[in-house]
Amino acid sequence: MSGSVVQEKVAKLLSRQNGKPVLRPIKPLALKNEVASRSLKKGEATCVTEMSLVMACWKLNDFNNSVCSKEVSAFYTCVEKAQNKAKGKQGTQGRLLPKEANTLLKRFPNLSSEI
Amino acid sequence: MAASVRHLLKPWTPSLCLVRWSRYNPYYLDPDPSKDARVPESELSPEEKELQELKTVSPIKAALSSDTSSAFNDPLISKFINMMMQDGNKILARGIMTQTLETIKRKQVEKYHKSPAAKREEIECNPYTVFHQALENCKPIIGLASVQKGGKSYQVPVPLTDNRRRFLAMKWLITECRDNKHRRTHMYEKLSQELLAAFANEGNVVKRKHDLHKMAEANRAYAHYRWW
Repeated sequence: MSGSVVQEKVAKLLSRQNGKPVLRPIKPLALKNEVASRSLKKGEATCVTEMSLVMACWKLNDFNNSVCSKEVSAFYTCVEKAQNKAKGKQGTQGRLLPKEANTLLKRFPNLSSEI
Repeated sequence: MAASVRHLLKPWTPSLCLVRWSRYNPYYLDPDPSKDARVPESELSPEEKELQELKTVSPIKAALSSDTSSAFNDPLISKFINMMMQDGNKILARGIMTQTLETIKRKQVEKYHKSPAAKREEIECNPYTVFHQALENCKPIIGLASVQKGGKSYQVPVPLTDNRRRFLAMKWLITECRDNKHRRTHMYEKLSQELLAAFANEGNVVKRKHDLHKMAEANRAYAHYRWW
């Protein structure tokens, strides 16, 4: 769709006709068969409120777990929910994960030279 | 585009299957060795019916040689035996475990016969329930993880997964019995003492769990250093 448009833009950036060229590449302008694998959004600590409730209960009752069973079970449910959320949300936002993209590119790479 | 392309990403499985393999594709199901666990179709909810249908169609992992369909098969005890085992000597580890359970039963039955009739109902004689309850009492709830922030590493209180908690409880029991007891007592004797103490919420392993909880409580200010 926009292949020729991109080629024209690159040709303009490299040409010496309008003064100095904007780009002076040392390596050929071709994409690698790999995607950078960062894209890790820095999350926050999950279940801190539940944890603080459990710890407050412990401080009052001298770390007796049978007395604090309600807070402890609430903490466990919170942890389970957070785990499920973290698992489910990772790959479903419409984009390919970097790992998946790399697997695909390995199997179907852009050929930069003739074999 | 991502959704349609995702079905191409199932990893390649070889046409020649090795019998005992430790890395399986996630859609392989665990083998279920229980013979009589079949519930008739009318009593199943729609999700359970789907699960049953999946079981008939999906591939299943090869069963380990320690999986039995006997009524005495207890996955928790099998895991504990595997953790106690050294140099692959499963026979010795299993023997120690059976001796431990027998010792627990003997001690509890002795206690039962010596106690007055009023207190007899509270004494638990089944060694399997004693083991399960003792392990539950040893499991920590919150653990500590080392997080580096600004050049310094802090001990941050962190929720633990169920597997990690079970592993820690078993590891503490075994190391406690191996290191901190008198040299000339047998392992089954040491284990039975420690398990009965943990069943009553006393003893060194429960103390170690409480120490971990106290440290987590002391470091609760650093809880926000976590990013997961």
